[in-house]
Amino acid sequence: MSLSTIIIILLVLLVLALVVLYVFYNRGDEKLQFDIGGQVPRADGGKDSSAERTVRARLLGLGLVSSTVVLGLIAKLWSMQLVSKDDYQQQAESNRTRTISLAAQRGRILDRSGNEIVGNRPCITIIAKPEVAENNIEIQLLGNLIGMPAAAVRRKIQDQSEGAQSDRTVASDVSRRVVAFIGEHPYLFEGITVEERSARSYPFGSLAAHVVGYTGTVTKEQLEESAKNTDEGSIVYETGDTVGQAGIEFEYENILQGIRGEQQVYVDANGAVLEYSTSVEPQSGSDIVLTIDAQLQQAAEEALQSIIDKIRNSVSKECKAGSAIVMDVTNGEILAMASCPTYSPNIFVGGISNDDWNKLQSEESGYPMMNRAIAGQYPSASTIKPFSTFAALDNGIANESSEYNCTGWWTGFGEASGQYCWEHKGHGRMNLRTGITNSCDVVFYEIGKGFYESDKPEAFQAKLHEWGLAEKTGIDLPGESQGRIPDADWKWNYYTSAADLDRQWKGGDFTNLAIGQGDLLVTPMQMACAYGGVATNGKQWRPHLLKSVRSRTGSGSVVDYEPQLLREIQEEEKYRSIVHDGLVGVIYEEAEYIAQHFTSLPVRVAGKSGTGERAGHNPTAWFITFAPENDPKYCVAVTIEEATWANSSALFANRDILGALYGVKDEVPYAITSVESVGD
Amino acid sequence: MASDQGIRDSEPQSFVDIVLSRLGIDLSKLGSSQFQRKGYLSKVYLMELIPNVVLVLFGALVMWSASLTMPDASFPRHVFGIVLGMAAAVAMWRYDVGMFADKSRFLLVLDIILMLMPSIPGLGYNTMGMTGWVQIPLIGFRFQPSELAKPVTILLMASVTAGYNGKIDSLKDYLKLCGILCIPFVLILTQPDLGTGLIVLVLGATIIVCGGAKGRWVLITVAIIIVGAFAVVATSMTEGLPHILKQYQLNRLIVFVDPSVDPSGNGYNLQQAKIAVGSGGFFGKGIGNASQAGSGFLPEAHTDFVFALLAEEFGFLGSVFLLVMFGWMIISTVGLALRVEQPYAKLVCVGVAAMWTFQLMQNVGMCIGIMPITGIPLPFISFGSSSMVSQLLAAGMVQSVWRHRKKVSA
Repeated sequence: MSLSTIIIILLVLLVLALVVLYVFYNRGDEKLQFDIGGQVPRADGGKDSSAERTVRARLLGLGLVSSTVVLGLIAKLWSMQLVSKDDYQQQAESNRTRTISLAAQRGRILDRSGNEIVGNRPCITIIAKPEVAENNIEIQLLGNLIGMPAAAVRRKIQDQSEGAQSDRTVASDVSRRVVAFIGEHPYLFEGITVEERSARSYPFGSLAAHVVGYTGTVTKEQLEESAKNTDEGSIVYETGDTVGQAGIEFEYENILQGIRGEQQVYVDANGAVLEYSTSVEPQSGSDIVLTIDAQLQQAAEEALQSIIDKIRNSVSKECKAGSAIVMDVTNGEILAMASCPTYSPNIFVGGISNDDWNKLQSEESGYPMMNRAIAGQYPSASTIKPFSTFAALDNGIANESSEYNCTGWWTGFGEASGQYCWEHKGHGRMNLRTGITNSCDVVFYEIGKGFYESDKPEAFQAKLHEWGLAEKTGIDLPGESQGRIPDADWKWNYYTSAADLDRQWKGGDFTNLAIGQGDLLVTPMQMACAYGGVATNGKQWRPHLLKSVRSRTGSGSVVDYEPQLLREIQEEEKYRSIVHDGLVGVIYEEAEYIAQHFTSLPVRVAGKSGTGERAGHNPTAWFITFAPENDPKYCVAVTIEEATWANSSALFANRDILGALYGVKDEVPYAITSVESVGD
Repeated sequence: MASDQGIRDSEPQSFVDIVLSRLGIDLSKLGSSQFQRKGYLSKVYLMELIPNVVLVLFGALVMWSASLTMPDASFPRHVFGIVLGMAAAVAMWRYDVGMFADKSRFLLVLDIILMLMPSIPGLGYNTMGMTGWVQIPLIGFRFQPSELAKPVTILLMASVTAGYNGKIDSLKDYLKLCGILCIPFVLILTQPDLGTGLIVLVLGATIIVCGGAKGRWVLITVAIIIVGAFAVVATSMTEGLPHILKQYQLNRLIVFVDPSVDPSGNGYNLQQAKIAVGSGGFFGKGIGNASQAGSGFLPEAHTDFVFALLAEEFGFLGSVFLLVMFGWMIISTVGLALRVEQPYAKLVCVGVAAMWTFQLMQNVGMCIGIMPITGIPLPFISFGSSSMVSQLLAAGMVQSVWRHRKKVSA
């Protein structure tokens, strides 16, 4: 019992005691008298009328006070109801009206023949207000209902990634049973609502995951960014919006997003809708039609994955990553783009868990979110040799009749700096064409030496840049890497902690560059474009994934992507044919164990392998082809990390993809051999 | 009559007299043509009756409109309260209110019984946050005895004060009157019902003041009350000292001083009431169109905040009409007090006028943010039969004073 209650009780007792005392123990007139005759009119008070005047004055005072009260209240009402009326009416109006924003459906992502790679589906979502986190019983109940630990439910509700004030998504795709239970027991689940939202669906599963990307709830940074952007037609996001976070979803966010609608409603104090007012219908986002061919994409992904699995299970247990690109060399359309390891964009639907996210970001799982086709950077290895050849021819380092002698051991910079050809036994007499065909390192050591000794050595690097190596292709995907071509300045500035002698550009750097090893880094996409250029007599088209935009509202109009010429490289016809013939020779002349895989194809193929050395690691295998060699249409580029010789790894994946393109499977068994055996 | 006039002319007039005469207002003449009339009409005091009936009808109209959107506001129950109250008023009018003039002991005991009723086990009905209710066993009829205690306290204070004939000379007598007033006041605080307690205190104090208490004593008493009130608030706000005010009462005071402190609690209620009143504008939104009250933004729209509902539906026009009716009714009652001869009858009228004035000021003032929030109903308008019965009973007391007037001055 509180002190104040005791005091009140004591007061009451005191008052009661006094009352009893007065009422029952008052006997004499002299003591307390209650009734002293108020009903009798006052006898004439003689000249003493002061009492009468006092009462009269006080009654008039009472009248005056009452009038003042009434007039004072009227004055205040005057100011509220007449002077400040508009202000209050506005407040009353904003009290009872709410604007509900109607989410626009996101545009779909289709393959080139209209198959839905990314679509939409309804998704029942449980939403909680932030305050629910403080209600332990409610969290426990909710956790039991949806089969989630209470701590996990609380973490979801406390998660502020969707904004401090906004409602939190607790669970998506809950069962009808859960929805029914919550609906029947609203008093148990205060602050919890069930909403039907639209979620991304992936009919082909993780197909082309790196291309399409994924969506997520708009982040705080994106919200602020969109609020700042006042350009016409730009989207202003709201808390809880689903936006593209990677891939095509991110790149073409403005097309896919659509325009939200608005519905004005009248609500009561509890927020229940009483009446609907005006509305603006939402406009669905437009569909994106990709250049991707779903079937070919599937084949490319399977080919890449199966070869990687085979390598991992035989010669290199570290092998788990790689990429494959199929490009139309006549216009830059990407028909397939695979990257391993991959992930399922579906785990982002309804909010990804921290555990899943950390897993996707870990080295252990091989960074599956990385699109290696555009972001992977590797030394190009022997696939650079056609461009070394062009550089040598264009700069007079070599000509069509240059000849070389390969003994397997090259001592152009003295015996102490001797370098092996990959074929230690030696290739014998070589020219530029056979140098490409046999990938003879000695030929290119000589070219490197030639540049080192020429008066404009950096023309080599300039030529490689001209062909688009270490230049961003500008493909319509976020996260493209640049790569690098080492030169004297770069080397000096890069190895700042090394001794001056080691920082200097040396002849060995040129010989390394000429065979695509050392500090050179290129992306598979750049190499695909470069080989596309070789195939089309120097015309490189900007690689792109967007084929057309298909509007879902109104007339359903279609806007097609116009191919853009990325660059056109001028090379003399006779030089081109040396390289071209050399590349055809790689497939059909270098070795029977290579040719046997390609003779079954209905078209002739040109291509080049490359095995990139990596200290302390298994080599990076390249195999790039274009076909048909006489009228090139497709370029296929395969890269596999931690692999083995390209001819017993990347070649097989490349052949499988060509097989899918031309409908001919390779019947020759794949023999995967370790680095120590066979050749480049 | 002439001698009266002569005395008044020769005597130095009070300040209020001078002000009123300059303004050409003579409260004593209110309804004087009727005052002398014979016949049936002379038995009712029309100057009080007319605004009173208008207010009851206006209240019924407001409650009917409230019943359209609010299930709590039952129009039939409101009408039932009116009928019951009218029966009480007619009964009161039929008999002379003066019969209570020498029954102060009975009145005191009745008052105490009424105050303590809710605390009696089996009678008290304290559920869902409602305090001060009594449920009569078997019948199941519920009412608030503290509402009925208001007219009883008027009768009590009038009876103990009237005997002094307008001249309370000794301090002992003054303190006795104050002590008697403290009995219902303190008892009602224990309910706890601060609102009704304040009404009782104000009407009792007005009776004592108009009954002739010396001005100096009154001023000293008021000073003590103010100091005491501050002490109560201060101790309630200090940790460790006894909290006489409940936390919610303290919050209401804090919110009254600064409405922005608590926008979702009391401050929210106050803000919503002000929005309701202000958005009514000049003509109001019309019956049934009050979005603030009808959609639930305005809490207690049919009881404590009924004025806000009325102001929203009927606007400035309706609000002023209501206030003018109240003003008319109160001034008429004061006017009657001026003219009746019996000190007891005078003081009954004073008590009723004081009660109406205070409740009007407090209830309307709270809706427009010039008084703190208390649970005081607006007489004749608010939903609630107990209040309706006690207010109509009070009106019946005024009518009884008129009907059984012995002699008139002026």
